[in-house]
Amino acid sequence: MDLYARRRVANGVVMTLSVAATAFGLLWLVLVLWTLLENGIAAITTALFSQMTPPPGSAGGLLNAIFGSMVMTLIATLIGTPTGILAGTFLAEYSRGSRFGEVVRFINDILLSAPSIIVGLFVYGLLVVPMGHFSAWAGAVALAIIVIPVVVRTTEDMLNLVPNALREAAAALGSPKWKVIVMVSYRAAIQGMVTGVMLAVARIAGETAPLLFTALNNQFWSTDLNAPMANLPVVIFQFAMSPYADWQVLAWGGALLITLTVLFLNIGARMLASWSTFKQ
Amino acid sequence: MVILEERTVAADIVLVGRSAARQRRADSIGDAVFRALTFLFALLVLLILGGVIVALVDGAMPALRTFGFSFVFTEVWNPVTEKFGALAPIYGTLVTSAIAMLVGIPVAFGVAVFITEICPLWLKRPLATMIELLAAIPSIIYGIWGLFVFAPFVQQYIQPAIIDTLGQIPGVGALFAGPPLGIGVLTAGFILAIMVLPFISSIMRDVFETVPAILKESAYGLGATRSEVVRQIVLPYTRIGVVGGIMLGLGRALGETMAVTFVIGNAHRISASILQPGTTISASLANEFTEAFGDLYRSSLIALGFILFVITFIVLAIAKLMLLRLQKRAGG
Amino acid sequence: MSPNQAAARLAMPLVPSDPDVADLATMPRQKAVIRNVDFFYDNFQALKNVSLPLHDKRVTAFIGPSGCGKSTLLRILNRIYQLYPGQRATGEVLVDGENILAPGVDLNLLRARIGMVFQKPTPFPMSIYDNIAFGIRLYERLPHSELDDRVESALRRAALWDEVRDKLRQSGLSLSGGQQQRLCIARAVAVQPEILLLDEPASALDPLSTQRIEELIAELKADYCIAIVTHNMQQAARSSDYTAFMYIGELIEFDETERIFTHPKEKHTEDYITGRFG
Repeated sequence: MDLYARRRVANGVVMTLSVAATAFGLLWLVLVLWTLLENGIAAITTALFSQMTPPPGSAGGLLNAIFGSMVMTLIATLIGTPTGILAGTFLAEYSRGSRFGEVVRFINDILLSAPSIIVGLFVYGLLVVPMGHFSAWAGAVALAIIVIPVVVRTTEDMLNLVPNALREAAAALGSPKWKVIVMVSYRAAIQGMVTGVMLAVARIAGETAPLLFTALNNQFWSTDLNAPMANLPVVIFQFAMSPYADWQVLAWGGALLITLTVLFLNIGARMLASWSTFKQ
Repeated sequence: MVILEERTVAADIVLVGRSAARQRRADSIGDAVFRALTFLFALLVLLILGGVIVALVDGAMPALRTFGFSFVFTEVWNPVTEKFGALAPIYGTLVTSAIAMLVGIPVAFGVAVFITEICPLWLKRPLATMIELLAAIPSIIYGIWGLFVFAPFVQQYIQPAIIDTLGQIPGVGALFAGPPLGIGVLTAGFILAIMVLPFISSIMRDVFETVPAILKESAYGLGATRSEVVRQIVLPYTRIGVVGGIMLGLGRALGETMAVTFVIGNAHRISASILQPGTTISASLANEFTEAFGDLYRSSLIALGFILFVITFIVLAIAKLMLLRLQKRAGG
Repeated sequence: MSPNQAAARLAMPLVPSDPDVADLATMPRQKAVIRNVDFFYDNFQALKNVSLPLHDKRVTAFIGPSGCGKSTLLRILNRIYQLYPGQRATGEVLVDGENILAPGVDLNLLRARIGMVFQKPTPFPMSIYDNIAFGIRLYERLPHSELDDRVESALRRAALWDEVRDKLRQSGLSLSGGQQQRLCIARAVAVQPEILLLDEPASALDPLSTQRIEELIAELKADYCIAIVTHNMQQAARSSDYTAFMYIGELIEFDETERIFTHPKEKHTEDYITGRFG
């Protein structure tokens, strides 16, 4: 085979492999989502949303787990979002080239990808041991620590996109720096920042490991933030690994709920992001 | 020369007078407070990391003091006799991550090449979004899917095939020996590959896009084929970023917990065969921590966590440094 | 007097612009004096020993090839450069006799007296009304009706009122490029500054919008000391009373516009004006 023909074959091979790889990746996405739907849809009944997690061998629902997840996610978002926004603001607006800023950015990006089970261990030592018991507060704090780096990164990135001319125009009117940031920069970056928060929430909606040693789980309905609280991921973990068919069905149902929430938030965030760029 | 009156009226209204001075004082206090606030929360990020290190070291101390450095090289894990060694979990972590990289990197590369070079424009955005959805699916979903769907499938079709073919080769065959259980190191590694490939692919895509169009056009203009442009122009240009992306994927794979916990089999031993069950650091923690009895048991688990933290920190730091270097080079 | 000017006078009765005083035309007062100013971007010296006056109720244009320092000089006048570490100025800039480059000067109060309009329109991401009100609200507590009046008069001065009076609540970003720039001008005059700095205000606009901006400047000069940077020589010749020609950080020539464009004293100036370089 002459050289040119060999090159063409090589090109064909590489291109075909790329297409195959993409199809391969998509295949698994479809497979996972499909089997999730298939197995989980059976569990989507009104009972799922109205009854508590049952003891082994009986039927029930996931109400306490859904409630617990929502509560802890909400608290984690309330703690993590302002923290992340303020820290991100510092990096974007006050730390031009400073060493401290570089270090914070570096550490933040490492925390972003750090194993979430380590965060769980940390909060265990920080809150659970001193308090003497597991609690929803500890779970919420662990989730907040996962939210913070995501919000810091997106806030900094979005604020850096705000053109300097806008800041100068506000400063040129005699505005103090904090008003320039809060009344102009934030408003300009608001859509990106909201997207960041949505992605952070999507991330913690499915996190199990940090809750394993902090909020643990609770068979019953509880609104006591000082006690262990039921949550979807840990319930799924417990039920799925068990030999009981009823529990396994509920596990699939919970998995489907989480996945729908996560996909909804993710796709919503992306649509928000592209809508804002169109407006520009 | 006529002396004209000073134009002060408007200035009088706006600036002269106590209200403006008071406003300015309020503004400078506002500036100082806001700046201090943002600084404090930025500091908090550092404190979180510091806290993690302190908590881990503190919790791991009893175990490390009891076992010393040999902790890392001991395979024994016996809660009853209180003899603990990290070798099996460390081995499992490294092997599953290695499998994830072996499978994930080529696939991620293929996806990145497809999206940046081959894909028609209208398909790029939706396709990229779909691949990124793979990353959005929570770990526990992969876990439950792996346990109930993938592992049985592997047990019925894949593993027997491997055992009958690769398992028969003398020497290397030991890697693929053993009864087909479905769960095991290979299954866990494969699921990890699916989980990390979107991260690696996304970074590869970003760095591929930074290659200047005129550079690629120069190569095409000489008659190079697409695969040649990718291999000989794009890859060398983006080498640092690609490695950074791979390291990032590795960092994620090392720390993955739930998916691995479901399918790895949780056996504190090292087998030659990757078809056998094993354990990883995060899986051990997830399975055993809440039921750990005795301070030494718990401390040994925290020591495992500390080792994992050190490994992932190093890998992620290297990844970050490489990506920073690429940013600087691109003038970004 | 044009209808616009009449309306402006009605809207802002307190501005003592009195074109009946004949002396105004013959004896312009110096509003600001730039004296021996150097400017540095880190170690790079961008301005060398620049000195010139800015006359009240007159337009002073700054012309020169790219990189000559004209924008840099403008940005010294409201010390906007201080937002960036590594940029510093030495020398004196006297506004009504006071040196604004002195260390103790309150920057925000200074910038409330000296307004600036930038090359590209920079509407804030808020309603048209809020854009104009932004600067006013920084320093004054006005009752709602008075704020409405101030916003309206600012928009009238910028010749934008008729076009936006029905959509004050719409976002500033919904306007066209030329309208956005007039919005920025309205925003700058709303705080009743003493000096207006215009940094190539029409360079991003189409010829029709450019013309309207130039007409606007001609009206505004009755009330403000205006300094305008422009790379368009014809614009400088048309719109200004005084012109400063700069080249690589130095002031080459400063004179009344008519004289500079007909009988420039420096050969360099003549070369630039006749297009031999630039």
